[in-house]
Amino acid sequence: MIRLEGLSKKFGEREAVRSLSLDIPRGEVFGLLGPNGAGKTTAISMVIGTLSPSGGDVHIDGKSLVNDPMLRRRVGVAPQALALYEDLSARENLEFFGGLYGLSGRELNAAVDAALDMVGLRDRAGDRSKAFSGGMQRRLNLAAALVHGPDVLLLDEPTAGVDPQSRNSIIELVRSLKGRGTTIVYTTHYMEEAQKLCDRVGVMDRGSMLAVGTIDELLKAHGGDSVVVYHDETGEQKIVTRDPAGEVAKLIERGVRSGLRIDRPDLESVFLNLTGRALRDGGAE
Amino acid sequence: MNAIIRIAMKDLRLLLRDRADAFFTFVFPLLIALFFGYVFGGGGGEKSAMPIAVVNEDGGEASAWFVDELGKAGGIEAKIAENRAAGEGLVRKGDAAACVIVPKGFQESTRKVFSGGGMELEAIVDPKRTAEAGLLEGRLNELGFRQLARTFTDSSMMNSFLDSAREDVSKSSGLSPLQKGVFGTFFDSVSSLTKEVTSKSGGESKDGTGESAGGGFRPVTVTMHELRMNPNSPNNSFAVSFPQGVVWGLMGCVMAFGVSLVQERRRGTLLRLCVAPISRNQILLGKAAACFASCVLVQIILLLVARLMGVRIGNPAIMAAAVLASSIGFTGVMMLLAGLSRSEGAAQGLGRALLLVLALIGGGSIPLFFMPRLMQQISSVSPFKWATIAIENGLWRAEGWDSMVLPGGVLLAIGAIGFWVGRAVMLRFTNS
Repeated sequence: MIRLEGLSKKFGEREAVRSLSLDIPRGEVFGLLGPNGAGKTTAISMVIGTLSPSGGDVHIDGKSLVNDPMLRRRVGVAPQALALYEDLSARENLEFFGGLYGLSGRELNAAVDAALDMVGLRDRAGDRSKAFSGGMQRRLNLAAALVHGPDVLLLDEPTAGVDPQSRNSIIELVRSLKGRGTTIVYTTHYMEEAQKLCDRVGVMDRGSMLAVGTIDELLKAHGGDSVVVYHDETGEQKIVTRDPAGEVAKLIERGVRSGLRIDRPDLESVFLNLTGRALRDGGAE
Repeated sequence: MNAIIRIAMKDLRLLLRDRADAFFTFVFPLLIALFFGYVFGGGGGEKSAMPIAVVNEDGGEASAWFVDELGKAGGIEAKIAENRAAGEGLVRKGDAAACVIVPKGFQESTRKVFSGGGMELEAIVDPKRTAEAGLLEGRLNELGFRQLARTFTDSSMMNSFLDSAREDVSKSSGLSPLQKGVFGTFFDSVSSLTKEVTSKSGGESKDGTGESAGGGFRPVTVTMHELRMNPNSPNNSFAVSFPQGVVWGLMGCVMAFGVSLVQERRRGTLLRLCVAPISRNQILLGKAAACFASCVLVQIILLLVARLMGVRIGNPAIMAAAVLASSIGFTGVMMLLAGLSRSEGAAQGLGRALLLVLALIGGGSIPLFFMPRLMQQISSVSPFKWATIAIENGLWRAEGWDSMVLPGGVLLAIGAIGFWVGRAVMLRFTNS
């Protein structure tokens, strides 16, 4: 569905994205992770056509996005910032954005109604978006990306700063879109969210893709050791091991049962192992 | 094209929904124009009597009485002018609503009331004050009836008139001796009646009013002339103040749309426009079209109100060209402002620091022709000056299309350069 071929971008001497190559099949939810300044936003900007690549190309179903900008009709984008007109109602926002994609008349009205239904804002359609809560605005932001029925959806931190109900609603919506065959590229800083939603994850840092794979593949390759935790008379003890099941069996044989648990590596461990634990102060991504 | 219109319509809708922007774009310029028009027109005090210039070219007793009575009449403030030119001057300057001229032969015309004639007056009226002129005509007729009543109650004056009438009848060749005898008897009866009325009233003249005495009869014939205004000067104070209003209206449009483009960048909606399957040029043309439409709209609103205030649009074709050229010019200024500003604060700061000064020296505060010569030269750097001149050309300044070449050319050049530079900067921004 989407193919990135040697995609790169230079700002002066600085290489923001280095020869990025990736294949994302139809209907996949692909998580793009990376610390601030890793190059995620630059990569996405090239995919959506707001930045011209310094090298390489983006293909959608084999067609070059660089050579055929009209392919953007098939792409929907929900930027991290709430890209809405606050003085327009939810319906007016969606009508405007849908109209830019060539929808009009009944087709536009039906698409707007469908998008409002998807994000649960049909009953607030006539309210100006500035009157919405943060969560509702996030959902409307997502609806604006969906209104023209895109095949490819790029969601940049769609759950940033929302309440648990809205987050859950957005996650359910992403699952539902995946079920309909929409290809989704999802960036987030919430690792458990990526772990729940994404079929595959790519971890970027300093403009390069460090690792790509399913969650299990990444955990196996970059998750590091598990930790077996138990309590004895001197307090909490930890055993770092590649074979947690074997270590637990040994402890049970010795009669140790108190506080026994296994802390397995998760996506956060993968992320930290790949990108390091040093603080990042960000900068342009 | 569809995308450009959608973007333009969206921006106009947003402009109207932002009360502050809508106020400063559409209402504030109107208030400025009305306020200065009122001030330049000498308004601001209490509503006083209608000022009338009076010229007495006759010099007879009847005309002296008439002028004197006009001065005493309620609701009229008579200003005696030495001659017709001086009276016209008072009207032209707005110091008088009309100039009443008591022409030579007025004294004689009062004697003709009984032999088919009547009192004749002339009035030169300011074309924009026709309502006051109508009121004036009524008052003049009222005075005419009083003049007539005075004739009836003054036996010596009446006898003089009757003698004149007897003389006319006796000289008439079209009347038979019998008819002449009947008129003689009638004149004698009128003379006796006048003596009786005079003796009962003690010889004093009584006030009579036209309404009760005359019915449909009008003793005074007032020939109204519209004052011929100098075609190359404003026909009233609002013709001066409305171009000022246009300056502030254009400024409001530039500020509103310049800031809105910067807001689009900051809020991320520009990104959303950029990812849609439309070109950057379409996006910028849509924004420019909204600004252009609102510039045209604010000028049309101002001109419609100006018409209501009596402003004459001297050359509608030139005015249309002026409105279009101003709108193109200031759309370019808006693009430049948006391109040079990285934030809303910067756009507003630039607007205040630069545009406000340019508006003030470009005719927004003091009309250009009131400015000292040096100031007029300095004001040439302001695009507002050229818009003001273009609008004034349409109202009263122009004698032909030649006068539009310079202001129109400057405005179109500003529009083209502003659009080109603003577009280049914004395209660089969206690609960086």
